[in-house]
Amino acid sequence: MKEILERRYTLTPFKKEIKGLKDAFRRASLRNLDSMRKRGFRPKNISYYEEVILGEKRYEELKGFSGRIIGYFCTFIPQELIYAARAIPIRLCSGFYDTVLVCEEILAKDICPLVKSSFGFKISASSYFELCDAVILPTPCDPKKKLIEILSDYLPVWVLKIPQDKTSSSKEIWLEEIKSLKERIEDFTKTKLTRQRLEETIKLIHKRQTLFRQLYEIRRANPYLMGGRDFLLVIQTSFYDDIERWIDKTEELCKQLSKEKTHFKTDEKIKILVTGSPIIWPNFKLLNIIEDLGAEIVCDDLCSGTQSLYNLVEPDEPTTDVMLGAIADGYLLSSVCPCFIENNDRIDRVLNLIEEFRVGGVIYHSLRLCQLYEIESHRLRLILKEKKIPMLTIHTDYSQEDTEQIKTRVEAFLEMLKR
Amino acid sequence: MIVCGIDIGSVATKTVILKDRDIISKSLALTKASPKLAAEEALSKALRQINLSEKDISYIVSTGYGRRIIEFGDRTVTEITCCGRGATQIGSPLGKIQTIIDLGGQDSKVISLDEEGGILDFVMNDKCSAGTGRFLEVMASVLEERIGDLGEIALRSNNPVRINSTCTVFSESEVISLIAQGRNKEDIISGICASIAERIAGMITQVGKKESIFFCGGGARNRGIHRFLEDKLGVELYVPQEPEFVIALGASLIAIESLKKI
Repeated sequence: MKEILERRYTLTPFKKEIKGLKDAFRRASLRNLDSMRKRGFRPKNISYYEEVILGEKRYEELKGFSGRIIGYFCTFIPQELIYAARAIPIRLCSGFYDTVLVCEEILAKDICPLVKSSFGFKISASSYFELCDAVILPTPCDPKKKLIEILSDYLPVWVLKIPQDKTSSSKEIWLEEIKSLKERIEDFTKTKLTRQRLEETIKLIHKRQTLFRQLYEIRRANPYLMGGRDFLLVIQTSFYDDIERWIDKTEELCKQLSKEKTHFKTDEKIKILVTGSPIIWPNFKLLNIIEDLGAEIVCDDLCSGTQSLYNLVEPDEPTTDVMLGAIADGYLLSSVCPCFIENNDRIDRVLNLIEEFRVGGVIYHSLRLCQLYEIESHRLRLILKEKKIPMLTIHTDYSQEDTEQIKTRVEAFLEMLKR
Repeated sequence: MIVCGIDIGSVATKTVILKDRDIISKSLALTKASPKLAAEEALSKALRQINLSEKDISYIVSTGYGRRIIEFGDRTVTEITCCGRGATQIGSPLGKIQTIIDLGGQDSKVISLDEEGGILDFVMNDKCSAGTGRFLEVMASVLEERIGDLGEIALRSNNPVRINSTCTVFSESEVISLIAQGRNKEDIISGICASIAERIAGMITQVGKKESIFFCGGGARNRGIHRFLEDKLGVELYVPQEPEFVIALGASLIAIESLKKI
């Protein structure tokens, strides 16, 4: 297998312990939860997900895990391969502002907040990142590419090169990447990813995704049963939680919701689609503003949201080659990341969601310095304008300083939609 | 039926009191450090002028960045909605208003209206102060001129300088170095006004350019910016008589409509 990182120069990793970081995370999380509780009508077992997202219990649980823990970023990494090696995958994309500040001691201000926030966890040796034995990073954008290089001083980093498009030649290259990753995981964990193991884990994740689709359909039929933030909370806990337990709890949640009646009158609330750059706990600033103002986030196409659980891997037959092919296709083709040269799939998806969920307006989260999403927002805006679908773009980052200004814009946008 | 609209802006707080649909009083107070005090001051000033007290007012709508701070309001509405409402009421000799430019103290906004005067789209610049009244204030103080005189001074220049910086702080040092280079004050002021006009013209492109444009907010009193905007956009702009009261007027009209719904 070809090495991507030669590592000719290795540096002593910069580390800095920051006191009170865990408390700060907890406080930020509790602020969100307080705001989410104000909505009223929350599913009974949502408290389970609240506890997972706070992270303390899960952290201790993972600390006691004797096997390998493998971190990853974005929606491109097949968790099937990690589970098949009896390792645990943990998604490391972070939305915590305090670790951005930690990172700014060494990296400049004008760098992607998501990358800095995630790396800040590594610098301060806290949270899940510290428990990871290796990390897998795809190459969707420049900040992530360079994060690969920086992180390689800290722990083994494996790179998954994302093709620039979804053509058949790109798909072949991508399949090779997936195959290399499989070998890499086998070497590292000293576990053979047998046909049988692969089949089992494909089924396991398929079960999770199917269950998620069930929840998705319940919300589509009645978006008011559960708030948009609670929906994202359920999705994002799956990044860290024990997969079997998450499945059990979410089965329970679906059962519970299918028995519930409508909480709000149809069309009582304005239905919002949130799209754009990833929104990751605890950075729910924009979501809190939208729902605190009485609108409902009924759907999203976020890679930190629906995109991360919606794709299905369905091999035609359980041979290793066919299964790896299905994994490769499943993760590449379903992505609507702006890293692809032409991204019509994303525009199609947004238009579909607007129709399916009878969306009143689109709010575009443009994370500062997230250039690919920022550039795409212009095109989407014009396409939506032609179709007379209002869209509001919010440029922001992880800090809280612009909360009031964002509130004014969102409020004005909602007043405009209410007419 | 007496109602009131209060627009608590970052620089000034404006109040309009309506009886039925006629303006019977209005007032302006500087917001300074306490939007709450400014709102109280503006309201009591407006009431004193007509010998009324707060209990005579049936409904108060507050708007502007400080809209949630006051305790005596009945409803809060954003300045964008109020601006659209106020401008539609005032109207324009240029025909049905299609676009509004509001140049306020802390932000500037461009609002696009539909056929019925409803808001179709808007963009706001509020993350940075370049292109706002605050920018003019900083520049006026550097150049030791009164903010109200900048527009007239700008019009006297035949050779405006080009201000390259897009940030107030950097523009300030840019202006200081222009002074040090011995550049003519009129040309510098003219360049400042042109740079604000350029930013606003960019916002107009974002919402889609329309012919009938209404220009309001305190910044609309600056004739230099007004002229540069007309040059850049290639159309005439209409500035109402008291451009800073448009949003407060809109708030007071929404107060009437809210009362009717009760």
